Amino acid sequence: MTTLVEVQDLEKNFPLNGGGNYLALKGIDLDIRKGEFISLIGHSGCGKSTLLNMIAGLDLPTGGTVLVDGETVKRPGPDKMVVFQNYSLLPWLTVEQNIALAIDEVIPGLSREDRQALVNEHIEMVGLGHAGHKLPRELSGGMRQRVAIARALAIKPKLLLLDEPFGALDALSRGNLQEKLMQICNENQLTAVMVTHDVDEAVLLSDRIVMLTNGPGSKIGGILEVDIPRPRQRMTVVHHPSYYSLRSEIIYFLNRQKRVKQWQAKPHKVLARHGLEKVNLDLGFVPLAACAPLAVAEAKGLFAKHGLDEVQLVRETSWRGVTDGLLDRTLDAALMPSGMPGWMTAGGHGDQPVPVVSALTLSRNGNGITLARRLAEAGVHNVDDYRAWLQSHNREPHTLGIVHPASMHNLLLRYWLAANGIDPDRDVHLQTLPPAQMLADLKDGSIDGFCIGAPWLDRAVAEGHGFTVAGDLAIWPGHPGKVLGVREDWALAYPNTHIALVKALLEACAYCAEPKHWTELSELLSDRRYLGMKKEVIWFSEASADGNATVPHHLFFGPGVNRPSRSEHLWILTQLARWAEIPFPRNYVEILERICAVGVFSTAARELGFEEVSYQRGAIDLFDGRPFNTEDPIGYLNDVTVHRDFSVAEIPIGVPRVLVG
Amino acid sequence: MTTGISPTSNRAERTPPTGVALWWKNNRKGIISPLFGIGGFLLFWQLSASLGLTKLAGPLSLFTEERTRDLLFYPFFDRGGLDKGLFLHAMSSLSRVALGYLLAAIVGIAVGIAVGLNKALDRAFDPLFQFLRMVAPLAWVPIALVLFQNNQPAAIFVIFITSIWPILINTAEGVRQIPQDYRNVAQVLQMSNKSFFTKVLIPSALPYIFTGLRISIGLAWLAIIAAEIVMPGTPGIGFFIWDAYQNSYVSDIVLGVIWIGAIGLILDRLMTWLQKRISGNH
Repeated sequence: MTTLVEVQDLEKNFPLNGGGNYLALKGIDLDIRKGEFISLIGHSGCGKSTLLNMIAGLDLPTGGTVLVDGETVKRPGPDKMVVFQNYSLLPWLTVEQNIALAIDEVIPGLSREDRQALVNEHIEMVGLGHAGHKLPRELSGGMRQRVAIARALAIKPKLLLLDEPFGALDALSRGNLQEKLMQICNENQLTAVMVTHDVDEAVLLSDRIVMLTNGPGSKIGGILEVDIPRPRQRMTVVHHPSYYSLRSEIIYFLNRQKRVKQWQAKPHKVLARHGLEKVNLDLGFVPLAACAPLAVAEAKGLFAKHGLDEVQLVRETSWRGVTDGLLDRTLDAALMPSGMPGWMTAGGHGDQPVPVVSALTLSRNGNGITLARRLAEAGVHNVDDYRAWLQSHNREPHTLGIVHPASMHNLLLRYWLAANGIDPDRDVHLQTLPPAQMLADLKDGSIDGFCIGAPWLDRAVAEGHGFTVAGDLAIWPGHPGKVLGVREDWALAYPNTHIALVKALLEACAYCAEPKHWTELSELLSDRRYLGMKKEVIWFSEASADGNATVPHHLFFGPGVNRPSRSEHLWILTQLARWAEIPFPRNYVEILERICAVGVFSTAARELGFEEVSYQRGAIDLFDGRPFNTEDPIGYLNDVTVHRDFSVAEIPIGVPRVLVG
Repeated sequence: MTTGISPTSNRAERTPPTGVALWWKNNRKGIISPLFGIGGFLLFWQLSASLGLTKLAGPLSLFTEERTRDLLFYPFFDRGGLDKGLFLHAMSSLSRVALGYLLAAIVGIAVGIAVGLNKALDRAFDPLFQFLRMVAPLAWVPIALVLFQNNQPAAIFVIFITSIWPILINTAEGVRQIPQDYRNVAQVLQMSNKSFFTKVLIPSALPYIFTGLRISIGLAWLAIIAAEIVMPGTPGIGFFIWDAYQNSYVSDIVLGVIWIGAIGLILDRLMTWLQKRISGNH
């Protein structure tokens, strides 16, 4: 397919009334193929309409060019017909006259009959045959927009530009009109660009969705290919497996943009006090039982006690939000899966490696593998049953949910599957989903199960949608769960703040580990600021045989619990490489040295008088008994039977650099 | 009510009123209240005149004064010179108004469009227009007389200069207010200037233009009386009133004022009707 529209390094600067300029768009590059349907989506004021207007020629760029069919767009014209949000019909002309007006201007010299035929054809096309003699004010909004579309199509444009065409319509007319537009576009092989703020509309209509970041200086934040085959139907398209992932991708993007905007709206001066370099911190977390130390540190004033006067807990809906928050520095530090420091340091997020350090392991355990109730009803009770079930149902897709590639859930689930003779990529499909989505998917049967942390696994069981096929205590008791992670440049810029933060959280960990505090913890976490769930589903104990609820499931504190462990991070790097999430770092010794801020931990523990927690853990001991030799990780990788094609490479993380500014 | 001859009369009573009865039922309120108001006013006026509270003749004098009664019942006589029936006086006034008003409409709409389209022109002339529009019709009379040295064209000029401003200013506003949407449509369709003018600009500005025209017709009619009163020697309703005043025919003045009011009202209603007819689609 050939390119119809080329947008090259486009920039738009608006002069402001009070002098100065507003940079609306910057560095926009976009190629649109013939016959393609593109949606532009973003928050209000992100410049999506400005971009459309510049393609239309209604507005001229202050930098870069727009080419349509190889020619620079200098002014508007009928080859780039626009359908405006407010219809823009001439109110003194009837439906027919409005369409005829456009035809007269664009295709002069038509005979009266030919013109009338063209008018009629397009009125019929949008299903308004009965309303040809009506005036726009006698029509509903939806009908007016149809006239506007008919008028646009009647002059046979190369490119159809739609500016929030259905924004002002009620849901029912919007749906009907979307289908109509889709049908017309398919039948006429139209090339179209549509501005919208409706996520479902974008997914339904588009071949590609262009997501714009917030202004000033908006740019393309991402382009999504919609792989749902055409012709599409509004009611059936939602059942396509890609639909919800595309939808949640866009929503994640939009929420992220909103978060960044809110963050930018606040002043962000580094406040130095009490001998600490920075006391105003934004601390990211995802609502899980393992966020208890953060909640306690906030509620019990432990941050302030250690001089961190202005700590803000920022609730993210997914781990991806934590990654992005660290990348764009909207977060100072975060609760993160224990695999994330190594994953980001090795560039697992798909960009330049960003060294992330961890000075504290906040929790251990608290995870489990859950399978859907329908499997239990079909006789699946353990992993052998599941393997047999997969073999007997090998024609169906089997999806298991994970929360993040770098989370222990992913690594433990894969390890457990592989050790039990199930290939985690070939026999089943592992999909990254936000926790709240997983429970819904488990209910409606679109996933077989998931590996996730408390309280979600407990909720699935408590609500009767699934059962725990393997608890983490049966896979790797005492495995690292969540850690505190900060960027290395941040840690070097604010070393005393880092120690203070670790001290506050370590003290909170100690509080969380006391069985007598668990009821209070459940109550605290049930608050809307943290988990926002009923306190009955949040618990920290492992019910033992004698019904004694003081056996901990989550480990928050104790000898060997909190100290960052190089061997554990090495195990994680090895597993991430095994499943090709990252190449195995040839310079792993250096990387582990940089990831594990043992010095910060030791200083914090010593200053708190917690000498006993400094002991290192013993050997890594998983359920299958396979030994992990920390001296020879590559040998281990070569030795495992089930793995992807992994590579070994030098990860260029450079010398440690201090954050400037 | 029908008398009870036929057995169906009871049913007939219940059927909804038709024809005159229906019209009366629907318009009763719109007729009775004004009748009371006007009747009361006339009664008060007549009483105050009869009791000698004012020197102004009462409404009954229209009939009691023989001269006035003749003028009232014979509006069409023409004894040559300035001795004409009131209808003919009114017609001379109206023809003068028509001419001045037509000129004002042509110039006002043309200049209004130019000013509405061109920001530089707008900035240059708007203060002047705003200033001139505040000058009362009577103030223009001496200027007009100096300019034209002749009653007839001077009177027309006064009409023109009084009635042009609402037309001009409203037209300009109408052109300025053409929605950006319509301009965008015109741009996207690459309409020629001629097309834009006839197919978008005029229809879009039409309601504003008509508002201007309607305000102006009232002003023009106000101005003609002022012009004629101070420019004697030409037939017209203003002259008639002034002449009656000079002769102390008070009841004639009252009759003249009634004609002025009635014609003004008719003109305004006419424009309203025209406005509705032409710009009903907006």
